[in-house]
Amino acid sequence: MEEQMQKRGTVTSLASLFPPEETHKASERVQNAISERWEHLGQLKKFIADNANLINLVQTLPNELHHNIMVSFGKAAFFPGKLIHSNEFMVLLGEGYYAERTSKQTIEILKRRGKILDCQVESLKAEIQDLKAEASFFYATAAEAKDGLVQIVEDYVEETYAHDVSEPGMSETDSARSFKDEKSGIKVDDEEFKRIFSIMDELEKEEEAENATEDEEDEKNEDDSGPSIDRAQEVESSLVKDSNLLSVHKDESSDGKAPVLNKSTLTEKALELPRNKETVQAPAMSGKEAFTGSIVEHTQNLESSQMEQSSTRGSKPVSRFKLRRQ
Amino acid sequence: MAGMDEIRQEKIQRFEEFVDRRLKPDLVHAIAERDKIFDQQKVFSDLRKNIENLEKNSVTSLRTMVNLGSEVYMQADVPDTRRIFVDVGLGFHVEFTWSEALNYISAREEKLDRQIEEYTRLIASIKAQIKMVCEGIRELLNLPAEGSS
Repeated sequence: MEEQMQKRGTVTSLASLFPPEETHKASERVQNAISERWEHLGQLKKFIADNANLINLVQTLPNELHHNIMVSFGKAAFFPGKLIHSNEFMVLLGEGYYAERTSKQTIEILKRRGKILDCQVESLKAEIQDLKAEASFFYATAAEAKDGLVQIVEDYVEETYAHDVSEPGMSETDSARSFKDEKSGIKVDDEEFKRIFSIMDELEKEEEAENATEDEEDEKNEDDSGPSIDRAQEVESSLVKDSNLLSVHKDESSDGKAPVLNKSTLTEKALELPRNKETVQAPAMSGKEAFTGSIVEHTQNLESSQMEQSSTRGSKPVSRFKLRRQ
Repeated sequence: MAGMDEIRQEKIQRFEEFVDRRLKPDLVHAIAERDKIFDQQKVFSDLRKNIENLEKNSVTSLRTMVNLGSEVYMQADVPDTRRIFVDVGLGFHVEFTWSEALNYISAREEKLDRQIEEYTRLIASIKAQIKMVCEGIRELLNLPAEGSS
C-alpha cells in the first residue's frame, strides 16, 4: 500500500521552525531593547524632575530683589556674589539664540518643554508595552515548540468543473493506472488532482443516474447514521474498506475488464487515502493533546461521511460488483 | 599526542580569558582614569588663564550670567573679585588672593602632570602584557611570527 505513504499536506514541528537557541536569542534581544528603553525613560524622568525644580526656582526668584549666591568661576572656583535683576531671564531657544524673558514668560516656556517631555515618556511607555508583547510571544512560541506542537500545511485544491473531461472508457482507466504508477514515489501536482476530481465527479453523476431509483432510500438512511460514528472508527473502517477495494480492483484488472464504477472508487480511494493518513498521523506526531484541530478541513468530514456511505454501500455493493461482473 | 593537544587548547583558552577578562578591562579603566585627570588639568589651566586675565586687566568687580539649569540664565554681580574660593578637593574650598591662587594652581598642575605620567606608564605596561600573552598564544599555535610585530 504505497498510496498510504503519499501525503498532500506537510507536517513540520514548531521546534524545527523555531529552534530553541534562536528563540532564546530573539527573546534576549528584545529584553535588551526593553532595558535600553527603561534607561532612556529614567533619563527622561530625571529631565522632568529638573524641569519642575527649575519652574519652582524661576517662580520664587522674583520675590526678592537680589539673592546672595556663590558665582562659579570655571569649574574649580567661585566668587561670593549676588543675583541681580531677579525678574530678567535669558532662555536658550536653540541654535545659540537666547531670548530675554520675565519670570512668567520663562515659566510658560518651561511648561511647554515639560509637555514635550511628557509626550516622549508616553511614547516610550507604549514602545515598552509593544516590546513586552513581542517578548511574551517569543516565550509562548518557545514553550509551544518545546511541547512538540506541529504545523500542518495543506494546499487548497480547487475543484474546477470548467475543466473538460478527457476521453471516456478504457483510455480513462489507462490514465488512472498511469496516475497510480506515477504516484508511487512523489507527490502528484495539483493539475493531476484537478483532472481526477473532475473525472470522479462525472463518474459519480453517471453512477447516480444509474442507481438513482434504488439507492435513494438507502442513502438517506446512511446519511443519518454517518455523522454519529466516531472519527477513529471512521478512519479505521475506511482503511479496511480501502484494502477491500484494492483487492476488488485487482480481481477486476486481472479479469481484464475495467468497469466504470470500479474506476471511480479507485480514484476516490487514491484521493481519500492520503487525507485519512494525515488525520491519523497528525495527533500521533503532536504526541499530546496539542493537536489544535484547526487544520482539519471541513471537506474531510464530508468526504469521510461519503466514504462511509460507499463503505456501507460497499458491503452491500459487493454483491453489486459481483452483479456487474456477471 | 591528542592529550598534548588538549592541554595546549586549554592553555590557549586560559590565556585568552586572561586577556579578555582581566587585561582589557584594566586597560579601559586606566584610560578612563587618565581622561578624568586630563579634564581636571584643563579645568585648572582655564582657571589660571582667567585669573591672569583678571590680574592683567585689574578687574575688581564682575558682572556675569549664571546658569540656573536647562540653559536659563540670570545676571549675577560680583562686587569683589580679589578674593577667590578654589576647590582643593574633598569638597573643601579655600579662600585665596589671586597670587595665592596662582601658586596653588601651579602646584596642582604639577601633581596632575605626575599622575598623568603614571597612568601613561600603567597603560603602556598593560598593553605590553597583552602583547606578550598574544605572542604566547601564537607560539602555542605554532604560527609564524608576524613581520610587523
